[in-house]
Amino acid sequence: MLRIAKFIFILFIITECIACSGPKKHSGTIRIRWAQDPETLDPLAMANIYADEGLNLLHTSLLAFDNPKGQLIPWLASKTPVVRYKDSLTLITYTLRDGATWDNGQPVQAHDVAFTLKAMNCPGLPNEGIKVRLDFIRDIQFDPHDSRRFTLVCKGKSPDYIRESGNFFILPEYALDKVGTLRPISLTYLQHSDTVTLARNPVLSAFVSRYQAADLAHHPDRLPGCGPYQLEQWQSGQFLRFRRKSNWWATQLRPFPIQLAAHPKAIEYRIIPNPGTSLLALREGTLDVYPLIPAKDFNSLRASASARQKLNFYTHPSYEIVTLGFNTKQPLLEDRLTRQALSHLLNIPGLIQATEYGLAERTVGLISKRSRPYYNDSLPLLSYDPAQTVVLLQKAGWLRQADGNWFRRTVNGAAQKLAFTINYRANDPLFEQIGLQFQNAAKAIGIAINLKPTESSLLSARLREGSYDVYIRTIAGNPFIFNFAPILHTASIGVLNYTRFGTANSDKLIEAISAEADQKRKVLLLRKFQLLLQQESPLVPLFFLPYRLVASNQIANLQPSGIKPGYEVKAIITQPAHNSQ
Amino acid sequence: MLRLLLTRLLRLLPVTWGIVSVFFLLSRALPDDQLLARAIESQLDTGSRAITAPQRQALELQLRRRLGLDKPVFYFSIQRSATGGQSHWRWHGLRNQYHLWWLDVVRGELGRSYRDNKPVASLLIETLRFTLPFTAAAAFLAIGAALWLSLWMTRHSRWRSYLLTILYSLDALPLFVVALVLLYLLANPDMLALFPVYGFDNPEPTDTWLANVGSYLHHLALPVFSLVLITLPGLVTQLDASLQHELQTAYAVTARAKGLAFRQVVRHHTLRNALLPVVALVTDLLPAMVAGAVVVEVIFALPGMGRLLADAAAARDYPVLQGSVLLIASVRLLSHIVADGLYWQLDPRLRSQL
Repeated sequence: MLRIAKFIFILFIITECIACSGPKKHSGTIRIRWAQDPETLDPLAMANIYADEGLNLLHTSLLAFDNPKGQLIPWLASKTPVVRYKDSLTLITYTLRDGATWDNGQPVQAHDVAFTLKAMNCPGLPNEGIKVRLDFIRDIQFDPHDSRRFTLVCKGKSPDYIRESGNFFILPEYALDKVGTLRPISLTYLQHSDTVTLARNPVLSAFVSRYQAADLAHHPDRLPGCGPYQLEQWQSGQFLRFRRKSNWWATQLRPFPIQLAAHPKAIEYRIIPNPGTSLLALREGTLDVYPLIPAKDFNSLRASASARQKLNFYTHPSYEIVTLGFNTKQPLLEDRLTRQALSHLLNIPGLIQATEYGLAERTVGLISKRSRPYYNDSLPLLSYDPAQTVVLLQKAGWLRQADGNWFRRTVNGAAQKLAFTINYRANDPLFEQIGLQFQNAAKAIGIAINLKPTESSLLSARLREGSYDVYIRTIAGNPFIFNFAPILHTASIGVLNYTRFGTANSDKLIEAISAEADQKRKVLLLRKFQLLLQQESPLVPLFFLPYRLVASNQIANLQPSGIKPGYEVKAIITQPAHNSQ
Repeated sequence: MLRLLLTRLLRLLPVTWGIVSVFFLLSRALPDDQLLARAIESQLDTGSRAITAPQRQALELQLRRRLGLDKPVFYFSIQRSATGGQSHWRWHGLRNQYHLWWLDVVRGELGRSYRDNKPVASLLIETLRFTLPFTAAAAFLAIGAALWLSLWMTRHSRWRSYLLTILYSLDALPLFVVALVLLYLLANPDMLALFPVYGFDNPEPTDTWLANVGSYLHHLALPVFSLVLITLPGLVTQLDASLQHELQTAYAVTARAKGLAFRQVVRHHTLRNALLPVVALVTDLLPAMVAGAVVVEVIFALPGMGRLLADAAAARDYPVLQGSVLLIASVRLLSHIVADGLYWQLDPRLRSQL
């Protein structure tokens, strides 16, 4: 044993000497930190934000988002779609870019879009999420004179249909359905038949078997997209390397559409779960970009003079908002005065300073200030005012007893004590800090709050069932769509409306907002909605989180944005060392 | 001897079955919301379309059906009536998740991961390929170093107390502290950048095999060192105590009295006996080798078994969890057999009893 150990030790020493040449740097390769593996690169599954980022390099959708400008831009589509309304239907007509081809040289056609929509509705494939997102598309009509032109027939009317209808990856029909076996099957048939009928269909079964056998989750090369990159290597749990196609169709386009630019020759995503290790790798020079860096690490890095020489620091306000939500069906919290009163115990500026080093953006509602004119700037920001809490609690019928606790009598005469529990995801310092501040402020005026960090799965189950009092969580948003139905409509109770809030009026307002196409009217409706939200206080919007990004000073044009992943990887260019803040 | 080991091996089967069955039923008792949310809610939050509760239920059913979670968990269930009165037993037959999983195991299949649809067996092999080299190297180095240090302390009794104090202090440190201290000291551009920070280098076709092996070991050095430092104190203190005890025994004193050199007494007489109490500690390293070290793997970004287990637990990836538990439980029980075999070899008293 001693000899084996000696041998291993000597081997280590020898190889240390051999390998001390430092980390390898591949020229033209941008190395980016990912916290976890994308798990699957199946374009139907889109498991997490990393998978989404990787798929965006391999595939293209009809429309894309210009994140810095907050606009929808045509990508695979030659221009923004033409929208018409017919009875209760919305008809969205797209024309694919002239010159857009698959890797085998065949043009991207309307039939590929139809194939994609059908694949999204096949049973037995990992398409549950995307299927429900796009279930408003009921049919596709082809232009008999132009194989690149097609019309999506959508059920109902909503201004959001434009964005949603252009936001899915187009897949090549030739790769999985060479002879077009799915062509005779209509989208309506796939959407309206039950799963047993569909499972018995031999054509569909054969297609599903082919799809599953292709193992697209790990072999995206078997379904080559028309995006600018191809996956060169994937070592699960270690790295993924994408290389720019040498003959990508968009490079032939004249004039060249700027949104189709793909600068880096190769992109390597390095999977490093630990933030501290990622920080050292960035300093060591084995990483070029560290996106979504925690506030504490960002500040400590910026404080270091040696790091400032090598790195550039970027921040951008995001559309991810931290909220504190009340269970409005909980007898203690069912009246808005109590909820309003408790809201004044949140010291939001203090929390921003403590958790985000003063960088987060305050708000009056769920809409960011950057989304002017929708933001209701006539509303006051929530103040930290325990005295106001006391006044409002008294108005709500609460009385402070000699022992310091608050009680009130319900309609049936039972006594209620103002004490509750806050649930939040365990091991999240941000939520913990908010909970502690709220608990301390409440304790000072005699309200007992119990903090309960909860494992995420248990937390999701409790929030859905409504078996909680107060929660803290973040809500992801974007600058394109203002649809609050998923989180505040009564129809979403038991789904994502965790506060279980909803009145006839609020439902009507939410529906009107999501259906309104006229911008002026939408502005008025959204301002009214923010007022209603502040009055009813089913949830308290605390602040919009900033996204932080640190990158080597040898790269530029990261286009930081408020939408995950917080930068535009295809826009990155290399440059001589240069510092910019 | 062979019969004894075979009997032990047969006894392992029901124990393994028991461990895995309990784990199976406990894991299924947890809510699977996280698993469902990954597929559905990631695409449905504010800024997307709303779905109603019945739509959500239909979606969940489809997802459960695809993953095989729509079937009952066990052969029977106990249902309490809505009024909270009597409990009712319900028989579900053989089409239940538990039965089907064991059928697959008997056929040599461990199922597919919910997250990436990879066969669990290949996932385990893939991660063991990374885990075993560094855990095994760490185990060998720790055992070797423990032997050397214990023997050295018998000859340098002056230093023994100092060294033991250091080892006890080291033993008090959790693994993540040791790993982070090593990382910040030895792979830090502001301190000593002697080792790479994370993972492995991606070998280039032009690299020589020696350079590749060198790079591989260079990347493994800190993870291995962390594990050695955390394993060493337990082994050394146990072996040292055992050696000290054996050196006081009559046969050791007689050997010295007969004129044998101290070194020879230790090496040829007391060490063999002193190893007996350490055998259980050493065989305990076997399951640790397979289970990996989640902390080290996360800190040094190594794609090993520990990380696989932790990620699977967080995502409720039941097939991966069950496959891993089956493997680790089997190795743990196997390590007991190995310990029995080693005791048999080292202790003649055991052989004479049979």
